[in-house]
Amino acid sequence: MKRLLKRISFLFLCVSFTQLAFSQTKVISGTILDDKGGPIQGASVAVKGAKGGTTTDVSGAFSLTVSAAAKTLVISSVGYNQQEIGITDKTSVNVALVSSSQSLNDVVVIGYGTVKRKDATGSLTTVSSKEFNQGVITSPDQLLQNKVSGLEVTSNSGQPGAPTTVRIRGNSSVRGVGNPLYVVDGVILDGRDASPNVNLGNGGFGSQPESNPLLFIDPYSIADITILKDASSTAIYGSRGANGVIVITTKKGSAGAVRLEANASVGFNTGYMKKYDILSEGQFVSALTKYHLDTLSGTKNLNKGSSVNPMEDITQSNAIQNYDVAISGGNDNGKFRASFLASSTPGFLQNNKLNKYIGSFSGSYKFLDKKLSIDFSVINGHTTNHIVLASQTPGSQGDLISAALQWNPTAAYYNANGSFVNLGNGTGNPLMLLKAYNDVAEVNTVLGSISAAYKILPNLEYKFLYSINESNGTRNTNIDGFIRGFNPLDGAGEGIISSSGLTSQVFDNTLQFNTTFGENLKFTALGGFEYWKSNYENGNYGALGFNFNLNELTLLNANYTDIIQNGKTPIPPNSFKDITTEVQSYFARVDFNLKDKYYLTATFRADGSSKFGANNKYGYFPSVGAKWNIYNEDFMKDNNLFSGLALRATWGITGSQDFPAGASIDQFAFGSYNSASQVNAGNPNLKWEQTTQYDFGLDFSFLKNRFYGTFDYYNKNKTNILFQSTAIQPGPAATYWINLPGNLVNKGIEVSLGGTIVENQNFQWDLTANFATNSNLITNFYAPGTKTPLVIHTGTVDGQGVSGTLIQVITNNQPVDEYNLKQFGGYAQNGAQIVSANPSYSGNPNPGQLFGVSTTLRYKKLSLTLNGGGSSGFLIYNNTATSVTNISGINTGRNIDLNAYNSAENPNTTGVAASTRFLEDGSYFKLRNASLNYNFGNIGNYIKNLNFYVSGSNLFVITSFSGFDPEVNIDKQSGGYPSSSIEYIPYPTPRSVVVGVNFAL
Amino acid sequence: MRISKYLKLSALLVLAGIAGCTKLTESYKTTVPGDQAAAALGPAGVGLLLTTAYNDMITPFISDQGEVFSLEENSTDESLVPTRGGDWDDNGVWRVVHNHSWNADHAQVLSVYNNLNKMNFDATNVLAFSPSKSQAAEARFLRAFSLYYLLDIYNQFPFRNPGDTLLNAPKVFSGPAAIQFIIDELNAALPDISATNGVTQGNVDACKVLLMRCYLNRGAFNNRAAPTFDDADMQQVITLGNQIISSAKYSYMPKYFGNFNRTNGNSTELIWGTASSSGLTINNPSMNTRWMMGFHYNEWSGQAPNAGWNGFSTTGDFYNSFSVGGTTHFLPADTIIDTRLGGRRLSDSLTTAMSGIKPGFLVGQQFDQKGVPLKDRKGAPLAFDPTIASNMIEAGTNLEVTGIRVAKYVPDFSVENADKYYSSNPGNWMAWMRYPEVVLMVAEAYMRQASPDPVKELALINALRTARGASAVASLPLNPTTPPPGGTSVVDDPNCILGERGRELYWESFRRTDLIRFGVFLTPWQYKPTDAPTYLIFPIPNQALAVNPNLKQNPGY
Repeated sequence: MKRLLKRISFLFLCVSFTQLAFSQTKVISGTILDDKGGPIQGASVAVKGAKGGTTTDVSGAFSLTVSAAAKTLVISSVGYNQQEIGITDKTSVNVALVSSSQSLNDVVVIGYGTVKRKDATGSLTTVSSKEFNQGVITSPDQLLQNKVSGLEVTSNSGQPGAPTTVRIRGNSSVRGVGNPLYVVDGVILDGRDASPNVNLGNGGFGSQPESNPLLFIDPYSIADITILKDASSTAIYGSRGANGVIVITTKKGSAGAVRLEANASVGFNTGYMKKYDILSEGQFVSALTKYHLDTLSGTKNLNKGSSVNPMEDITQSNAIQNYDVAISGGNDNGKFRASFLASSTPGFLQNNKLNKYIGSFSGSYKFLDKKLSIDFSVINGHTTNHIVLASQTPGSQGDLISAALQWNPTAAYYNANGSFVNLGNGTGNPLMLLKAYNDVAEVNTVLGSISAAYKILPNLEYKFLYSINESNGTRNTNIDGFIRGFNPLDGAGEGIISSSGLTSQVFDNTLQFNTTFGENLKFTALGGFEYWKSNYENGNYGALGFNFNLNELTLLNANYTDIIQNGKTPIPPNSFKDITTEVQSYFARVDFNLKDKYYLTATFRADGSSKFGANNKYGYFPSVGAKWNIYNEDFMKDNNLFSGLALRATWGITGSQDFPAGASIDQFAFGSYNSASQVNAGNPNLKWEQTTQYDFGLDFSFLKNRFYGTFDYYNKNKTNILFQSTAIQPGPAATYWINLPGNLVNKGIEVSLGGTIVENQNFQWDLTANFATNSNLITNFYAPGTKTPLVIHTGTVDGQGVSGTLIQVITNNQPVDEYNLKQFGGYAQNGAQIVSANPSYSGNPNPGQLFGVSTTLRYKKLSLTLNGGGSSGFLIYNNTATSVTNISGINTGRNIDLNAYNSAENPNTTGVAASTRFLEDGSYFKLRNASLNYNFGNIGNYIKNLNFYVSGSNLFVITSFSGFDPEVNIDKQSGGYPSSSIEYIPYPTPRSVVVGVNFAL
Repeated sequence: MRISKYLKLSALLVLAGIAGCTKLTESYKTTVPGDQAAAALGPAGVGLLLTTAYNDMITPFISDQGEVFSLEENSTDESLVPTRGGDWDDNGVWRVVHNHSWNADHAQVLSVYNNLNKMNFDATNVLAFSPSKSQAAEARFLRAFSLYYLLDIYNQFPFRNPGDTLLNAPKVFSGPAAIQFIIDELNAALPDISATNGVTQGNVDACKVLLMRCYLNRGAFNNRAAPTFDDADMQQVITLGNQIISSAKYSYMPKYFGNFNRTNGNSTELIWGTASSSGLTINNPSMNTRWMMGFHYNEWSGQAPNAGWNGFSTTGDFYNSFSVGGTTHFLPADTIIDTRLGGRRLSDSLTTAMSGIKPGFLVGQQFDQKGVPLKDRKGAPLAFDPTIASNMIEAGTNLEVTGIRVAKYVPDFSVENADKYYSSNPGNWMAWMRYPEVVLMVAEAYMRQASPDPVKELALINALRTARGASAVASLPLNPTTPPPGGTSVVDDPNCILGERGRELYWESFRRTDLIRFGVFLTPWQYKPTDAPTYLIFPIPNQALAVNPNLKQNPGY
């Protein structure tokens, strides 16, 4: 008892001493800068161990009243390492924070919530805006290229706004594109876009690549992007999480004075990143002699006497312009941010241009003593895309790119009277194709959301969210009738008007609860209901045979699509409206955290989808993740090396419902020309595809977080594969949808490492690198109920002489899209290429390794950032060399490639064939971008953080691949089965340079 | 406190549940679920479904040269597609059909199987929607047509009854039961087909012609390696054929190519055809493929170098099978020419006047409308050379002009720009069944019946030959025995019924069936060696085999 009294009195003493101490205060002020010398707004400054604190203003300055006895300030900001600084005897401090992509106190976004990185059990990577790729960026996925281990972002084309192939942890799709789920500020996107797709049958031009569905998001307004990779992170997204999830968080206003940020840049395409070697005019003339084709005379003389370089003559270097302004501000009760982007990105090819206007406005306001908060966000994006004739599926007469490759380099483009020369050798005049083709797509997209969160109790919050994403596109395609050599357009002309629309809506209700059991066990629970609905429609109509623009010398300033009724032959109109897709879901997540050492997360989601069969409307997706934070164990207390060490293990099931709505039921439809029919064989047993994934991870950092890294092993096993199976004939279609009990396994390791190699007052060198391996294999791939391996042929090779050839297979015990090619056996005595009679399995188109590296060197206010990366261990099929620039073209005066010219092949004796001859190692390293920044800091009283930069994109590529760009994946699907790594007259990748300035007011 | 917290929590969860709960039934827009189809399609629905079955004929038989036409013609002496430098190799698909080295992964073998079975399915589906008696008969006739080709090509066909679930493997008919099934179907349908059905519909005579084909070929279908013919079947052919002949509804056209030009819908020989409207995109089956696939790039100077695809050709020996009586090959004397040969002597008034193109076989120098000799893309004379490389891979400077071309269907030049030449909207109708086929089948049956009757045979044959401007023959045995003048292939013996069928019905997708029925399909002919009995039938496509265990792969594959 005595002892107890003593203690109590001691406690009182302490308390009174503390109160005494607080009465003696001082004011400390200072500036917080980033590693480039620029101010950091919103950094939090607090006395170590005390409550309260302040945040820095727009110029990075702060002022804080502290106890005179306070010894240490703790300064932290998202994206930077937390720093402590002694303030004994000081009244002002200036601190430079070291940036870190792996700061453990950062808040990272997970499904339906956020978590501190140090508490996350799953495998996820956040890329913040300052780590993004720079240069010419038209869509958000380009920001991430080579930034994240295990994330493969393939630009399929050098055309601005073209879609990318995005794969997380390998190729896991035997149908469709297999892109991940995109979530923007908590709103699930549909993944399709409303840019109308037109298949130009007349003229055989085929269809252009679709548009990137993320174009409406302003890259400058993105705060960070989180990639959720393992099942513990993605299972909360249920039947749509199987391909991984990419969560985009836009910038929000912050408390403080109103701030204006501006960014302006101007750039140019400066040339080909890499050229594809075709014959120059001089080499072409030599080739005519070599192949005894110099004997033809008159109009058939293949040496036309001029000298042109079509691959240069179709390009342009108009200014690429970007202007972005954002205003933000607010106080403790309300914040807003408004931004506007205007950009014009001319493509590398003439007449190609992507204009974008994006306005966004978001706000967050608190009411009822901050118990109720209302958040809203509206993004409105308008894109205008001037499309050129760079097609993915041109017929035997090709498109603009093939015309430029094949054009006789000794032939002038124009006749004496100014009309276009038509060589009559089955290839078009590239300048004529540029001029005659006029195709503009306009897409308007609105993404609006509003949410209300109410704190029922301090630790219990209810949140409601409604969001609508509406996108409408129209496209006017015109091919002028002066086009020569393309039936039936020649002398007739064609106009097609098309449109499409996409609307999706989300309703979310979530309830979050957290509590502490005893002192050591923290518990968080989340429960929710979500309803998602999507509609899609498209249509087109057009006509053929117009009375004007039939002669390039007397053109009317009008398009056919302005006067479609002038067309003599209507093209039958066509329209389509998709079945509405609805998904309703119930989900829950619980997190346990014992002493910040032992973590357990479990999630569960039940997804009901209107697409699934009547017998399987609901799918269930569990996951569990555990983490052991070794660093917080007592035995680690004395170590000086580690500043973080944790082991993770997760397991879970995710699904996919990536199949057409209506596949589970027999459907009848009215068809063209007074007909009606059953259109599919419905399968009421269809259910979600199941991906079971486990992941083991290790996170570490040492030397006070100066060096850090993660290591993951993952294994994804996909089964119940949603598969477009061969129909059991007789049937209404060639295929129907089933769940195939095969396995598609992707496994590999992921490593990312980073650190500050040199750090002193004036000079700093940061380096991060990532590396991932993936192996991809299909097993148990049998026809239902049999042990007969399925062999699905896909990978269409296009062009004259190879029609209908399929060069990839999806089959048992092979990776997805294994090459299946005839073997090339050199050249016969007479110069004919020797090709085996039957194809055999010839290699893997899926990269075995992915790697990325990025580094920043800073000297005082000048910094240089380099971002690069690539992939290796895969093969590319060069369809361009097979059928566009092959040697036999020279017989009719078409240009050919240098490889064919230098070979023993003879154009008079050889044939055209798809074979392993055109299979090339795709390994590459690309310097995606290099940026030089000079940060002037604050200038005068108004301009804050003035920064100048020069940034180059696609500066070089190291590869043995002979085509334009080894980063290529032209969509060569056959019957809905996807292809991989086939190159066919792609839109070439330009090298570009941008100079810009940004500052804040 | 604690209780109220949980009350609020559960109340909210319930609210959330109610707020969004839906039944998740799919909302159909442009389609209707099967169980609502009958109501949604309405009273005209059966007719709309029947139209689909007719439309199903376009892809496998007309618009794509790589379907039934390829399997039935390129596999014979009548047609082949040589590899021409950069063109037409297409992974060897065409050459393997001609030299009989195809396999069960061949893309054409698969697509023909799927497309014929789609017709099989859509015709069957009509029967599930309470059709009228005549509509049901028409649907059964169309289905029998698809089954006949399936049996001919694969020696088996899968069959579903109306309303069968499509998720189960259907039963399969093969061998004698299969042909008997088709015959029974046709005999059941025949009395119900409306007498008013015209030439564009499944009509009474068309049903009879298909029955005649079944009876005539039954012996071959049941044993392709060594066909034998039952007298009763031959009597059926004769009876049905004579009903058509004696009806006097049909007569020979004054000009053979009037059966194939832009106005052939009026042909007096046409028993069943698919209509096309000149210049209209609507309902047009793309008959232009029939000439584009063979014509040279510069065939018509107005569209050169896109006036043709320069692929399909015929063999020199087949051309010489027109040399009845030993006429000099390639240059038959004009006085005794068989007009079906076309080419040098015949012209089509409009087509030839506008383009210089003459119907029939194109051999030697080609001319434009003004009589100026045409040139190939290298400036050499556009003179078709009958000699094709033995491995069908052309090499050398003349690779563009090897092979005799065939303009059986005559390009439509009936409008100003003649854009129907290359567009998919020429006015030529597809002729499925023509009167001379009836005559030839009856004549053949007279020779195959238990006691052959060459007198009746010759009467029919010589009437036909006379109509075609060819000299009468004193005798015409059934089977080929001797190569044509200057040739080596026995199958091209001009002096036999097989030869006469070739001359009348070339490039109408009969040849493979004929060569098998006449027992000569495995003998060598130009660019094709002697081969194994395996190739008497095509394989079941591997993909089809994998999903229907009731299908049995044909021997040898």
